[in-house]
Amino acid sequence: MIPKSIKWRLQLWYGLILVVVLAGFGFTAYQLERGRQLGRIDDELHRRFDVLAKAVHGPPGQRGEPRFNRPPPDQLPEDGPPGLDFNPPQQFNLPPQAANLFDANSADQFYFIIQGRGKNEIARSENVPRAEMGFNHFFEQENHLDNPPKPAPAEDFKDERVIFRSLPSGETILIGCSIVPELNELKATALKLTLVGGIILFFGLAGGGWLVSRALRPIENISAAAIKISAGDLSQRINSAEAESELGQLAAVLNATFARLEAAFAQQKQFASDAAHELRTPVTVILTQTQTALNREREPASYKQTLEACQRAAQRMRKLIESLLALARLDAGQEVLKRLRFDFAKTVDDSIALVEPIAAEHGVKIFTELESLEINGDSERLAQVVTNLLSNAIQYNRADGEVRVKLKLENGLAILTVADSGHGIANADLPRVFERFYRADKSRTGAGNTGLGLSICQAIVTAHGGTIEVSSEENVGTTFTVRLPI
Amino acid sequence: MRILIVEDEPDLLASLAQALREEGYAVDTADNGDDGLFNAEGTDYDAIVLDVMLPGLDGWEILKQLRKTKKTPVLMLTARDQTRDRVRGLDTGADDYVVKPFDLEEIFARLRAIIRRSANKTTNVIAIGEVKIDTAARTILLKEKSVEITAREYALVEFLALHRGEVVTRTQLYEHLFDENESSLSNLLDVHVSNVRKKLGAEFIATRRGHGYCIE
Repeated sequence: MIPKSIKWRLQLWYGLILVVVLAGFGFTAYQLERGRQLGRIDDELHRRFDVLAKAVHGPPGQRGEPRFNRPPPDQLPEDGPPGLDFNPPQQFNLPPQAANLFDANSADQFYFIIQGRGKNEIARSENVPRAEMGFNHFFEQENHLDNPPKPAPAEDFKDERVIFRSLPSGETILIGCSIVPELNELKATALKLTLVGGIILFFGLAGGGWLVSRALRPIENISAAAIKISAGDLSQRINSAEAESELGQLAAVLNATFARLEAAFAQQKQFASDAAHELRTPVTVILTQTQTALNREREPASYKQTLEACQRAAQRMRKLIESLLALARLDAGQEVLKRLRFDFAKTVDDSIALVEPIAAEHGVKIFTELESLEINGDSERLAQVVTNLLSNAIQYNRADGEVRVKLKLENGLAILTVADSGHGIANADLPRVFERFYRADKSRTGAGNTGLGLSICQAIVTAHGGTIEVSSEENVGTTFTVRLPI
Repeated sequence: MRILIVEDEPDLLASLAQALREEGYAVDTADNGDDGLFNAEGTDYDAIVLDVMLPGLDGWEILKQLRKTKKTPVLMLTARDQTRDRVRGLDTGADDYVVKPFDLEEIFARLRAIIRRSANKTTNVIAIGEVKIDTAARTILLKEKSVEITAREYALVEFLALHRGEVVTRTQLYEHLFDENESSLSNLLDVHVSNVRKKLGAEFIATRRGHGYCIE
């Protein structure tokens, strides 16, 4: 039955607490008020009892001699209660100061009944509310001579407050009054208390609900955003207006995570889209070449041309696929790099030997300044980096340009620089040269240029725990610097 | 019909040009953006096939510049197939858009369509008297019978038919029927006109002396 929602659990809990506290408080207040009201009435009753007791026994000094005016014999009630008492019923005269207290016209109507020793009623005030009212309505048992402060009245007399006490002389005096106004007042008090309690409860619940909703709103925002994100909308962010609260901080952390996720996703998507884009052109070449060739009968030389063009396209695709796979493996950390000590200077030398013919073709001279040093790593992969940097340095050089290759040890790092004397890279392009498929030179005619070479270099160097940087000055040249831990 | 192809991939450019020439178009080519724009602005092509990614000016830029002066129908070629690229292409003023890789047949059909639309024709059959020109099949029917006709003659008839009722000057005809590499032998056009008249009737093409030719 306990609701699952935190909000409703909290509401239920402090609602319950509030109800208990209010009920306790209200009940206590009611009881106090009731005691006060009844105490006041009891005081009045006792005061009247004393007066009446005095009246029954006469003024002090005449104590023991009841002041009953014996009625004349002809007025003796014949149908009075049987005379267990040897005192015949007497006419009881209320002294004037006592009569005031039992005035039928005053606001509080007190009444009395006096019983003789023999349980015979000797007097009753005129304002006794009901004729049948008698001691038996208040006595729980016969001959009750003690002072029961609160006798249990019969059901019909719940609205009466009554005390009675036996005098030493044997008479019993009952004094009572109606407590209907007091009861009504108490009812009104109870109603007031309930009302006030209800209002407090309402405001307590409403205020609490507001506070809880407010406190939990970040959670709602978080879950709403998370739902949208899990549905694929990675651009969603948690609306964290209350950044001060604990949940606000959580929202900020989650937002940062989402942002990174989105960036990673966008990068992957861009990469896939770029890869597809790069593959489209060679496929288009093959399609148009073959479709054109097949449109009609051709000379053998024409078919040969077509086949050559198709081969070029296929080679390009192969190169692209190899590069893509290499990158994907490096990205996924699947490419297991060998960790062997080798002479990096020798590797650089070998790479230079490899590109020497291309350099000669371009009329580019290569100058070296290599410090022999050993490093820990995958010589094959690092050779790939060096070859790639050298090829770029040759390809983007001016005719009769030069390439300077330096290798030295500095602060425990192997530092390789490859500097060309080409036209340099524009400042706007410089930060993006390591981006995949980014070409500072928009031309795609260089069939060997996949736009992935520098990305692969960077991935390999990073996998070795090193860094690669580029600096360039237009019309002076570009320098790539690779730093590798030895 | 004379067409300009601007494409930087040489193997693609060569095969596209060859295929379109074999379809009977006069074809000029450019392998970079700057040459492409220069050609496009200097000649009244019937259509331009324009690649988006080009060295120099890119396809978008060429289109933007060209639209300031000419309404030549442009068919964009691109390797990007995202909607926003297509929308951008069409919004910039491209008449149609083909995503690489494509089939040659599709290029042919789209070219015919944009040329037809630019001449305010909605179907690919033009009927002139008893002559029917099917621009999709590139055939001509005379009294419901197929007429043997060369690609160049067909191009002449089609161009005049698309401009029916207008007088087409000899210069215009040279511009639209021959590409920049063909020497414009002045009597070559007369030979084609004469051959068409032999095949479709002497009255089919009217000569406006001092102005040019016209199909009524």
